[in-house]
Parts: sequence; structure tokens; C-alpha cells
Amino acid sequence: MTIPFLSVRDLTVDFDTEDGVVHAVDGLSFDVEKGTTLGIVGESGSGKSVTNLAVLGLHDPAYTKISGEIVLDGRELTTAPRRELERLRGNKVAMIFQDPLTSLSPYHSVGRQISETYRRHTGASRGEARGRAVEMLRRVGIPHPVSRVDDYPHQFSGGMRQRVMIAMALVCDPDLLIADEPTTALDVTVQAQILDLLKELQEQTGTAIILITHDLGVVANAAQEVLVMYAGRAVERGTVREVLGTPRHPYTWGLLSSMPRLRSSVDVPLVPVRGTPPSLIHVPPGCPFHPRCDYQAQAGPDLCVGDRPELSPHRGHGDACYLTPAHKREIFADQIKERL
Amino acid sequence: MRSPSRRAVSAVAALAAGMLALSACAQGGGGVTAPTAAAPAKSQDVKALNKIAVGTGDDSKGPAAPEPGAVKGGTVNMIDRDDFSHLDPARIYLNYNATASKLFTRQLTEYKVADNGGLTLVGDLAVDAGSTDDGGKTWKFTLKDGLKWQDGSPISTADIKHSFERLYAPFATEGPPYAEQWLLPKGQKYTGPYDGKHLDTIEAVDDKNIVFHLNSPHPDFNFTVAMTGYGAVPKKHDTKEKYDRQPFSAGPYKIVSHVTDKSLDLERNEHWDPATDPIRNAYPDKWHMEFGVQALQSTDRFIADNGADKHAMTFHNPIATERIQQVIGDPELMKRTMQGLTPFTTFYNINTTRVKDLKVRQAIIKAFPMQQVRQLNGGELGIGKFASTVISPTVLGHQPFDLYGQTTKPQGDPEAAKKLLAEAGQPNPPLVYAYNQTPTGEKAAVVIKSSLEKAGFKVVNKPLNPATYYDAIGLLDNPYDLYWGGWAADWPTGSTAVSLTYDGRQLVDHGSNYSHLNVPEVNEAIDKANEILDPVEAGKAWAAVDKMIMAQAPIVPEFYQTYFGLYGSGLGGVEFDPITGEQSPTNVYVKQ
Amino acid sequence: MSRFLLRRLLGAAVILMIISAVTFFLFFAVPRDPARFACGKICPPETLELVRHNMGIDEPVFLQYWHWLIGIFAGRDFTYGRCDAPCLGYSFVNQQPIFDAIVDRFPTTLSLTIGAAVVFLLFGIGMGMIAAARQGRPADKIASSASLIGASMQIYFVGVLATWVLVDQLQLFERPAYHELTADPVKWFSGLLIPWLVLSIIFTANYTRMTRSSMVEQLSEDYVRTARAKGMPSRTVFLRFAWRGAMGPIITIFGVDLGALLGGAIITEQTFVLHGIGELSIKAVVNQDLPMLLGVVLVAATAIVLFNIVVDAAYAFIDPRVRLS
Repeated sequence: MTIPFLSVRDLTVDFDTEDGVVHAVDGLSFDVEKGTTLGIVGESGSGKSVTNLAVLGLHDPAYTKISGEIVLDGRELTTAPRRELERLRGNKVAMIFQDPLTSLSPYHSVGRQISETYRRHTGASRGEARGRAVEMLRRVGIPHPVSRVDDYPHQFSGGMRQRVMIAMALVCDPDLLIADEPTTALDVTVQAQILDLLKELQEQTGTAIILITHDLGVVANAAQEVLVMYAGRAVERGTVREVLGTPRHPYTWGLLSSMPRLRSSVDVPLVPVRGTPPSLIHVPPGCPFHPRCDYQAQAGPDLCVGDRPELSPHRGHGDACYLTPAHKREIFADQIKERL
Repeated sequence: MRSPSRRAVSAVAALAAGMLALSACAQGGGGVTAPTAAAPAKSQDVKALNKIAVGTGDDSKGPAAPEPGAVKGGTVNMIDRDDFSHLDPARIYLNYNATASKLFTRQLTEYKVADNGGLTLVGDLAVDAGSTDDGGKTWKFTLKDGLKWQDGSPISTADIKHSFERLYAPFATEGPPYAEQWLLPKGQKYTGPYDGKHLDTIEAVDDKNIVFHLNSPHPDFNFTVAMTGYGAVPKKHDTKEKYDRQPFSAGPYKIVSHVTDKSLDLERNEHWDPATDPIRNAYPDKWHMEFGVQALQSTDRFIADNGADKHAMTFHNPIATERIQQVIGDPELMKRTMQGLTPFTTFYNINTTRVKDLKVRQAIIKAFPMQQVRQLNGGELGIGKFASTVISPTVLGHQPFDLYGQTTKPQGDPEAAKKLLAEAGQPNPPLVYAYNQTPTGEKAAVVIKSSLEKAGFKVVNKPLNPATYYDAIGLLDNPYDLYWGGWAADWPTGSTAVSLTYDGRQLVDHGSNYSHLNVPEVNEAIDKANEILDPVEAGKAWAAVDKMIMAQAPIVPEFYQTYFGLYGSGLGGVEFDPITGEQSPTNVYVKQ
Repeated sequence: MSRFLLRRLLGAAVILMIISAVTFFLFFAVPRDPARFACGKICPPETLELVRHNMGIDEPVFLQYWHWLIGIFAGRDFTYGRCDAPCLGYSFVNQQPIFDAIVDRFPTTLSLTIGAAVVFLLFGIGMGMIAAARQGRPADKIASSASLIGASMQIYFVGVLATWVLVDQLQLFERPAYHELTADPVKWFSGLLIPWLVLSIIFTANYTRMTRSSMVEQLSEDYVRTARAKGMPSRTVFLRFAWRGAMGPIITIFGVDLGALLGGAIITEQTFVLHGIGELSIKAVVNQDLPMLLGVVLVAATAIVLFNIVVDAAYAFIDPRVRLS
């Protein structure tokens, strides 16, 4: 068994706040291989973004407690010194954010924002870096990159801005790209273009991608593996075919059935699962999903409020639910499938 | 008159109530005891200046009586709140401007201040205090020998004539009005000498002798011309409206530089001959004056007594109210203080056209809480002595009397007032008290209202904007019954102390008769007193007029204003000038 | 840019005209007579008329305003002599030409303002940055409480105390005074040091708080996170990214403060006997000196209006999203 390119084990992230300790991520494990895309799915507040910011070491250590392991290409990141992380960020690991308008600096030209990343990590000259910026803009499909390199983000359209963002993220040929809701703020047509662009670039460079989204449609389009998160934990994991084709966890069922039809061109907002996401300060005991779950009775109510269900089996298509596999198949086949 | 100093002070206080709140706090805390209670100050009784005399030719001879221990040389620093608004004699009425002018402007007459505080009117440019042989209608003055301008040219009667003629020029509006009115022949118009026209009433007989032909008798005209407003201006160097910036010196110093509102520097005028001057000792070589220093700041600097401040004095700034206790508690500081009565008296005008009943007016005086009001103003050293007359002790002929027991019961006598109101058949007369809306004014109004109400008055307090206070109370048909005012005689005889303020034949809007008193007997008595030639006899007549006026109860006399000042330890001969009510520059010297 | 300037300067001129007109009419809205105030203590009616004429207030108010306005461009003739353009008239109190008074006072106010601004920007922004960088840690708490104490200080109190201790008692400094920079830079500096420090106390406190909150806000902005995500060193993130965004509100307030200070720091000037525009203003009000009042109001308004333009231009420089048009 080879060591995965990125391996996260038992990651726990707690934040100290005035209201109490927020258990944002609680014992999360996953792997990502080079050249593949892992989709992480969940409602907002499920811990997807927190997990990935932890990978980059972007949490303020004054308020954050991180435990577990994050091993990237054999290097342990949770204990790495600040300077090493700084050298890693934007270089080996890059990140794309949800809203390119607020995520790009309004005060600097796009060329400068791209080239300064490049110079920072390669020590290239101003001229070289500028050339690289133009090249990157061209690669991500910005028309007339030479004349646009000195423009500011507000002079670009939303889709073009995200392309700039991608250009900036990929300027140092990172081994891992974390894309945090890269298409959420964009039109549906532009969404597809951006996802295609990511795929295309991945094919060229072999970058591993973590794609964070709350949209299973995006995952179906762009990822090979899926991790469904709820209240800071993985509730289901598997290949796209497994998780979307034969989902096993009631939360995944909820996500799927509240989703507009796959490949629908109409942008219908996601209808959330019944109830509201749990407080991360006072996480419900047992299965954190149980207050919103319609199938407690089948699983046995005592079970669901007792111990926390583990993800099983450990490899392949796993889920964290006390329903028996037979129950899961039966319920999915009888009640869920027809709704999809 | 309205005291310009107090008026400006109160306006500042109102304006800057927030920022200059230091003083307000110190007073408002209620912890300040009346300085009268403090031992060292009480013994220092301020003497009345009943010794006011007209001097002889011998009295008028220079040089001035030397100050014991005084030496020549050095620089005196003068720090004060304001710059001198005018230096052209024709535009000087304010005492503060007059004090500075003593250093470079000379009049026909001046006052010699004796060590005991007595005043003698002597000749300054003139050989004596002038003479008249027709009861004060024609006045003759003779100039001394050796008088020179700062360029060495002689001071002649042509200059004197010119100085009086230019009073009529359109730009000279700020000075006293007396000579202008008295020297203008009836029915004539005159607008100054600059278009070649001259006044026949001023007759320069030769280079030395000049005769003034007045249009009515004024037995104290020789006092009138002692005002700085009648100082000499050189005909040849008269720059008209620009003279105000750079006056030409006839005195011991000349102006080297004057930066408006910032500084004034003087150095010796070599052409001044001490032998011609009975007043000015002129010990220091230089004067350096700085403006913009508030009373609290100058007081603190005198107390600290550091560096150049050792040689510093002030003309006008009194010891700040909040430092009075500290100063009188420190014998070393007290050695560097001076105190005395200024010519200013303060009082509350009773509007006699509204409060017609004499007994009601008298009841107001009886019930008035002078003690409490004085405490709010810093006590005796902070503001003044209790007054009970119209004429101040600084005026020739002043006689102390107290018709309403104000000095014996300064806290007010509500029972006596009640009795008077009962006799008047008005146990609860309404009374509108108008006051300057300043922090102190507000507090005083509360005290006054409650005291008057104890006697039965129904008091309505009406705060007035300090900026327009005098515009409001100056109207003859103003809707107020009681309002504060102040006055100072322009020279220390009764005429300007009384005539303008209580002569009922001069009732006009914005006049000086704020209580609108118009009693034929008083009017007549004023006329008679104005005609008496002998100063002593005139003084007696004015004292009688004073009593007559007070019997009519047109005012609640408040204070004879005191001055309490401090100066640096390196100076000697710093004395109080009872004519200006300020520190005098004439005998100051720098200690060696 | 030049069109922007032209347009804004024209606008400024209109604003100044409106402000001066409002001042003019407000002054006379109160039932007062500056002539009576300036006239001697005994003021016969003829003299009063003469004073009114000399002051130029014997005409209807709108005509007075018109003459005043014309005087600025063409000069005017007064009883007190010719007043050359730019003529703002003569002081009612001592007939000093208003323009000369302002020209004479402005260097003091300018020196006071610039020195104090340097001090409070340096300390205020510095402390604010440290507080923001050390959020929630002791340095932050010290800076925050220091600024709270500073903000509650009163200039006249601290000023009097500082002078008393440093000048009168310890004699470490000379008494605060203004000396011309060109004549003696050392004296200029030492004479204004205490006023600068005292005047900047309150401002320092304000700028500390403002910088801190503005920086904290910017540090949580997405683009700052991006900068960190792409591996920029924390110093760069702090200074080149977060500070760039945090500057906006600070520059705005700084423009307002600078404009206000150039209109005269009344309390500071009084406390330290500095002869600046502030002293002129208070005197103008106390003495009902309309021409002086108009003069200082114009100075203050000009300073504020000009700095508004400067701030807007600076904004465009800092933030390319803002267009000068």
C-alpha cells in the first residue's frame, strides 16, 4: 500500500469563542491522490472549509486548537513551523475561494497579484514574473492577457475573475489545489466553464484537487471521490458512482432529494434537509444527525442517541449510520430513488 | 459706563464655558471660602482716595520722585490677555490702552500718585495744571521748555492744537467725546484739520501758550485733558488712520516693533528729557510685551517665577480667582502683590420707569444678597468692596454713607424689605431680573431670586445673551426691572461719575442712564455742582447729589471694584494706579 | 484628474460663498450692533453713525455682503485706507487688515497642525497596528486601555499640567511658543514640542482605536485570507494588504481632522498662548468682529473643503475602484 499524497487522520479543529468551544471538525480522516479530485460536500457549517483552511495552516493559532495529522507528500503540516507553511502555501498547495470579487485584492492589479505569488516562491525577477502572469492568464482563457494584466479585479466579470483566481492559484504548479466553492457565486453556464477549466488543467498538470461544495451536481461533474460531511464529521465516503448511485446515509439521501435534477440548467437553490444544522458548541450526542433523521425508529432510537456511529467499512464506500445495510438498501430503493 | 474688561471676560466665559471650565469648576465646587475670612487679606484695608488735589507749578516739575533702591537698565516683560486695541491717542478710551500709552504719549496734564495713594493733578506737557479765570469757560495752558518728539523736534502748541482738531476726523471714533463737544462752536460742523480747516476755539497764542475757548463752563477741564484721549500727536508726523499702528513718541520710550495681538517692543527715546517729566521714572532700558496670556496663565507664571518671568509684570490681568486663596496663603507671594480700588463701581440698575414705587425699590436694595453674590465672584479680593453709594471712593469728594444698611447686613434683610413692601401696599410685587447668561451669572441669578423671594417679590429670571446684553438693556422700553451694570468716572471728579448716569434730561436709547432716573431736584443739583470751581467745594456738592440719588433708590450698589495683582520677583517699583485700576509702568525697575 | 480638480474646485468656491453668506446673515440675525460695541463708552448718535459707516455696516446686509465679496477680488476703500485685493476688510476692533492677520497667524496653526499630525499618526497608527496584530493579547489590551485614557483627557487640563511640571517645576523645556521655522528650526521644534504632544493625545487615542478596528476588519477580509493562502509572509499580508484596505476610513477622518485643526486649535492655542487662527476665531466671536469672523470661517471652511478634495484624490490613489470623474 503506497502512502497517499495527502493524508488527513483524525483531524480535530476546535475554536475558542466567547460562547464556548466550537467543535468545527471532529475526528475527520480522508486521503487524496495526485491527479484525482475529492469532492467534499455538506451544508454550510459542516466543517468543509475549516478542514481545508487547517490543511493550509490558515487558522489563527491564538484561538484554534488543531489535533490529528495532516501529511502532505510525507510532510506533517499540523506541527510545521509558520515559515515552512508560508513557503508551502501558494506553492505546493494552493487555494481558490468562493467569491473571486472579495477574494482578490481590490487594490492591486491582477498581474501583480499573480506575479507576486510567483516571485515569492520562485524568486523570479519582476519581468519574468510578469511574463508568467500573462502566460497564466492565457492558460485560464482570459482574452487579450497582455493588455489585461494591469487591470484590476473590478474590471473583470465574475467568471473572468474566477479564472484569474485559478491562474493565481496555479502559477506555481501546485501539487494540491483546494477549491472552496469555486463556482457558487457564478452563473450556471460559467460554472460549467470553470469546472471544465479545472478538469483540463488537472489533466495537464496532474494536480490533486479538493473540491468543496454543497452542490452534489458539481461533485458529479468534477470529482472521482466524495466525502459527505455533517457537523464536522464524515458521514459517507466513496467514489462518485457509489455515493451518488447508491447512497447509504440518510443525510446523503436528504441532500440528494433536495437537489434539483442533475444537469438541470435552471439554477434552483438547494432546498435544505428538514430542520437546521446543529450547534457546533453543543453537538447532539450520538449521531449528530439524529434530530433531523426520519429513520431513527428503524435503526433503534437508543442506538442513535447513544454512541457516535463510526464510518464503516474503513475502506471503499463507507457510511456512519446505525441502520443495517439491508435497511439502507430497502429504504433507498423504496423511498428515495424515485424522488431523484 | 460698562466696564469693558468685565464685559469681555463674561463673554469669553460664556463662549468658552466648556474649555475654560477650570475656573468654573473651582468656583462651582462650593469649597471656596470668601477671601475676607482669610487673615492676611483682611488687614489690608483699601483706603479711599479722598486726597485728590490740583497741584502747583512746582508739583509739575521734573524729574519724577525717585523710587528708593531703583536702578536704571534691563528689560521689563509685560504679559497680558489682550493687545492694545488702539495706540492713537484720539482713539483711546480704554484704561488698558492708556496704561501702555504712558510710556510714549503725554498729555497737557497727568496725575501724580503719592505713596499714600493720594492723587495730585499736575502739568505733564504743561507747566502746571492749567488755569481759568472765567469759571471754567476759557482754559490756558503753557508748555514746558525742552519738550521734544522722538525725532528731536520740539513739541509746540501747533501740535497740541492739531491733536485736538484731529479728534473730529472720521476715523477717530473711539475716544472720549468731551473736548469734541465742548470745543465745537454751537451749530458748527467740523470734520478735522486734514482739509485745511481749523477750529478758532483752540488758540495757539505762541509756541508755548495755548488757550481753549469752551462753549460752556467746565471747571474740571484740566482733569479732562489728563485723559490719554487728549494726548499730543505731532502735526508733522501725523499719519492719520495709520497713526494707530505707529504712534510718535513724546515720552521716555519709542515703539520698535508691534505685531498685532502678539507683541510690542519699546526702547528708550533719547530725546525725552526727564527734567520735563514729573511722573515717569523710566528705569528699564526696554519693554517687551506679550499678549494672549489669560489671567490664570499669568498668575501661574508669576507664582512659578522662572527665568524671564522674574522680570515680568502685567498691566491688567488680575490674580485669577482660583489662585487667590493660594496667593494670600503664601507670605512670600503676598510681598509681590498689590491691591487697590479701581475707578469701577458695579450695581444693579432698577428700571424706575417700571418699578415706580420708591418703597418697592428700596425693598429690593434691602433684600439684596450682596454677600452671596460676592462669594460667587471670588470675594473682596476677587471682585471688590461692598458699595453703598453712587460715587466711588476713588472720586474726589466721596463720602461714605449707607442708607439701606447694605454694608451692615450684606447678606440681605428680608424682614426689613417685607416691611417696606407692606408699607407700599404691594406685599408681592413682580420683578423681572435680566442677567448675562454666563456660568457665574447663572449662579448669581439663582441666589438673587431666592433672596428677593424671601422678601415677598415674585421674581422672574430672564437670561440674556452676553453678546447682546447691553443692546437689550439699553432700550428705554426694555421689559426688565433689574439688571447689572457698571460705571467708572472718566476723571476723579463727580461730574462724569454722576451726570451721565443719573441726569434724567438725557434719556435716550442706549444712553448711560440705565435706571431711567429722572428727578428734577437731582437734575438741578447736578447742574449746580457742575458749576463749582473749587475742587473741594465741588466734591462736597457731588457727595450731596450722591445722597440725593441714593434716596431715590435707582440702583442696588454692588461693589467698588478692587484690583489684586501679582508680578515677578525681579521687579521693583511696581505700583497700583488708582486712575486706571491697573499696574502702573511709571516707576518699575529691574532689580540688580 | 484635471477635470476632477476643476470641477471640485469650482464646487469648493460655491460652498465657500454659501458659507460666507450664511455667516454674514447669521451674524446680523442676532439683534446686535457691533458699532455700539466698538464705539467708545460714551457714544453720541453722530459718532455711532460714523462708526457704522467706517465699518461698512450702514448698508443693507445683502449689499454689505456684495461689497465684501467684490472686495476679495477688487479691493475696497475704507475710512481706514485702501484695502488691496484680496481684501477681507478691516477688523472692527483694531482695524488690522483681516488678510494680514490670517497670513500672520497661519504659519503658527500650520506648524501646530503638522507637528501634531505627525505625532498622532505615528503613535496612533503604530499602536493601532500593534493592537490589531496582537489581538486579544496583552499588547492589545495595553494599547486599548491607553487609548481609552487618552480619549478622556482634556487639553486644557493636560496642557496646564504639562507646562507646570515640565516648564515651571522641572524646567526641562522652555515655555511653549511659536518661533518661525525658517528663522530657527531648533527653537521652532522645542517651542512647539509640548503643544504637539498634548494636542496629539486625544487624536492618538482616536487613531489607535480606529486603526485597530479597521485593521481587524480588514484582516478578516477574504482578500487578506487569499494573500495568506498564497504564502505571502505575515508582515507583507499585514502592511501591503490589510493596511492598504484599512487606510481608507483613516484617511477620511484624517482629512476631516486636518481641516478642522487648520481652522484653529482653539483650546490648545489658548492653553499655550500660541497666536494661531484659533485665537483669532475666539477673539472674533467675543468682540463681535464680523470681518475677522468671516476671515477665520473662510480659512476653516477652505481647509476642510480642500482636504475633502485631497482625501477623495487619495482615495482614488489607494483604491482603484474609485474613479475620479
